[in-house]
Amino acid sequence: MAERPEDLNLPNAVITRIIKEALPDGVNVSKEARRAISQAASIFVLYATSCANNFAMKAKRKTLNAGDVMSAVEEMEFERFLQPLREALEAYKKGQKGKKEATEQKRKDKEKQNTDENDKSRDEEEDEQEGENEGEEEDVEN
Amino acid sequence: MAATAPAAPAEPELDRSGAEDEPRGTEPEEDGGNGQAGPTAGAQQQHRLAKLPLSRIKALMKADPDVSLASQESVFIIAKATELFVEMIAKDALVYAQQGKRKTLQRKDLDNAIEAIDEFAFLEGTLD
Repeated sequence: MAERPEDLNLPNAVITRIIKEALPDGVNVSKEARRAISQAASIFVLYATSCANNFAMKAKRKTLNAGDVMSAVEEMEFERFLQPLREALEAYKKGQKGKKEATEQKRKDKEKQNTDENDKSRDEEEDEQEGENEGEEEDVEN
Repeated sequence: MAATAPAAPAEPELDRSGAEDEPRGTEPEEDGGNGQAGPTAGAQQQHRLAKLPLSRIKALMKADPDVSLASQESVFIIAKATELFVEMIAKDALVYAQQGKRKTLQRKDLDNAIEAIDEFAFLEGTLD
């Protein structure tokens, strides 16, 4: 899957939405301006990535991390972005944590189901109890 | 009654598309966002955080031959920074449109903004 940077554009609809939400009502954007902004955005990604990667390499790490990107944004002189980025990152991390726990819960449920299927043939009563327990776990998940 | 029915309607999950793009082994750090779990209230909020698809951002990042691995967090922050960048350049270009008493942003307004504003210097000579 060798993709050239020129082939990788960001979705037009999303770029357009971001532009429209940033500008006051009644302002239009020509197709050429939109295209140029979209291109500029792709170049921004490449530039920020390259910059961030330098920080990672300096620290002898192979994996680019959040801190590298923050350093890059600062070096690129977009300090005004730093605070909103920090806040967004915190919210993102919280969301990820919730997902992780939900994935864990789903995995436990699945394992429990598999165990249940093995027990089903033995005792029906026991099965009902298991069903109730599953209900409780669902509440925790939600 | 299905025990594993999700509580909320399914929403498109940006992280899932990111996770599908490569084998699990490539992200040693933040691997929690597989997106295979049913959506929770927290997950729905989290989807609003990045408007640009993380999978596309990640693909762009990987186009750099020097980049081997990138954590999910780093992909997210670049996506968010790009969004802020788009907002900024649109607003700065608008100033020039208004100077020209126009309500439509045109390509030349972009060019003017790029020339005038230091932060956009990296874009000089790069756009078609």
